[in-house]
Amino acid sequence: MAFVTPALGQSLLRLFTVQGSWNYERMQGIGVGVAEEPLLRPLVRNGDQTAYRAAVARGAHFFNAHPYLCGLVVGAAARAEHERAAPEQVERLRAALCGPLGSLGDRLVWTGWLPCTTALAIAGVALGLGLPAVGAFLVVYNLGHVALRWWALRAGWAYGLRVGSALHQPLLQRAAAWSGPAMALAVGLALPLAARYLAAPFPTGARAVLAGLAATGTALLVWRRGQLDGLRFGLLLLVAALVVGQAWR
Amino acid sequence: MSLELQLVLLAWGTLVGLDLISVPQMMIARPIVAGPVAGAILGDVATGLALGVVFELFQYDILPVGAARYPEYGPATVAAVSAAQAGAGTFGLGFGVLVGLTTGLLGGVSLHLVHRLNARAVDASAAALEAGDPRVLLRLHVAGIVRDAARAALVTGVGLVLAQLTRLFLAGAYTLRGVAGLAVAGVAGALAVGTAGTLRRVGRGPGLRWFVAGLAGGSVVAWLS
Amino acid sequence: MTIALYRIDDRLIHGQVVVGWGQPLNLGFVVLVDDAVRDSPWEQDLYRMGVPPHIEVVFASVAEAARGLPQWEADSRTGILLAGDIATLAALGANSHQIKRINVGGIHHRTGRRERLRYVYLTDAEAAQLRELAARGIEITAQDVPTARPVPVAEFT
Repeated sequence: MAFVTPALGQSLLRLFTVQGSWNYERMQGIGVGVAEEPLLRPLVRNGDQTAYRAAVARGAHFFNAHPYLCGLVVGAAARAEHERAAPEQVERLRAALCGPLGSLGDRLVWTGWLPCTTALAIAGVALGLGLPAVGAFLVVYNLGHVALRWWALRAGWAYGLRVGSALHQPLLQRAAAWSGPAMALAVGLALPLAARYLAAPFPTGARAVLAGLAATGTALLVWRRGQLDGLRFGLLLLVAALVVGQAWR
Repeated sequence: MSLELQLVLLAWGTLVGLDLISVPQMMIARPIVAGPVAGAILGDVATGLALGVVFELFQYDILPVGAARYPEYGPATVAAVSAAQAGAGTFGLGFGVLVGLTTGLLGGVSLHLVHRLNARAVDASAAALEAGDPRVLLRLHVAGIVRDAARAALVTGVGLVLAQLTRLFLAGAYTLRGVAGLAVAGVAGALAVGTAGTLRRVGRGPGLRWFVAGLAGGSVVAWLS
Repeated sequence: MTIALYRIDDRLIHGQVVVGWGQPLNLGFVVLVDDAVRDSPWEQDLYRMGVPPHIEVVFASVAEAARGLPQWEADSRTGILLAGDIATLAALGANSHQIKRINVGGIHHRTGRRERLRYVYLTDAEAAQLRELAARGIEITAQDVPTARPVPVAEFT
């Protein structure tokens, strides 16, 4: 994978905006098309734009996966277009990448790397490390983030229609297997620390009330899952506190 | 609070809101980042950190998959830190959580509206898109980003106004006990939502053991330190 | 346990399925019913990639799925049966009487389809097909993730 071309760089930059025009109709489609377009420009031959325009139109069709992994489809579809793959083949490739890339990315990042690193940031803040813990989170998280985007685009562009084999990358498989347990461990670690940190300023009596409310609330939310979301539960609790605060002065 | 400070908060909240979905998703949209920076802007890092932790816990309730709708806690945390200036020290926290959750709800609705407007714009340009016109494609994309920026600014603005109203009118109507009670409710809510959200995410599979191990480890560290 | 969900989702296996439904259901297996994917090793390879190793993925054609249903229904693990379009589940439903409930998880925009819900776009023919399945006594609701409200078929067709 020695080819780092200006077009690839431009495509990567555009990938950082891939969800900028997210919508219910094509989801990430427009953004994926925009990111793929620089890689498609060589398809213009002697002023004939037919192949280029057809490829651009395909590139912007419905797509949705994890944003950090969109580079795989951008690279792979562009490579397939360069190799003059049949239009149906490119469409099938895009359709088949949607779900798996979404699922893999959700497991790797949304329920893995991200909550894992924010939990460590919470733990850091709770242990009194302050702003440096927040800074460290941003740096560490984004090392993984940018590396994943860059790897995805390069792998897609290198493998084209055989992009499935790029996903067999052992590091990726190991990361996917460990992301869940690592997240569970890190958030587990952070919760008691956060509780102690947030409860510290309150007097003992208030802390007991806090612990009781938190335990009851957790039980309620687990029991009524699907019917009561976190935000509404929080608001209900606060409105109750406002009413009690007015009545019991 | 001076107008200059409010404007800096507005700018920060806009960047935070834009980061969540559009550009560049480097997670300054996470409360644990958005809150402390807002705190630093107001010269009150401690409150920023505390509210950052509170809303980060609320955030554990959310899984951003597909077209699912969810609240937006980035600009909300910025507004929350502003609202918390109503009470001295930790006791302003409750007002912060109240304003933050309300703003988060608005943020979620606004995201939905922008995604709908984007869909309408895409629909209107369907013919040019099918013809593979790269200029139309780029224009649609940039328009989407501009819409999201305007949305983020609007949500942050509304949040900051709510914060201002809270400081002016609501805070004075409560005794110290009432203010503390509100803070207790806010913190308890965050802990409950964070725990329940994580439990849901961990599932009943092998992850549960790791979660329990983490809880045990965290409790020991909390006890010792 | 049994097959907990008969789901129509044109992205087949993705985050909403594996994480959104998979975690709370403690998912043990996924049956992916699609004639084209059944005969395409590279696509199977991709779909398997999106699923954690402890969840088994079974690829089946419509005919195989109709034969396999009783066995999956009797499985001790919890499973999800996925199809990419209405026609596939309708064909499966016609061949067996096991399907009592259908979950419409995501059918996205394509030329000719109109928005019914933010994650359900249908042509008029597809909407009629769903109503017809409902008239046969199958309970049909649209619901993308477990935390969302299940929308009855009458509200979106």
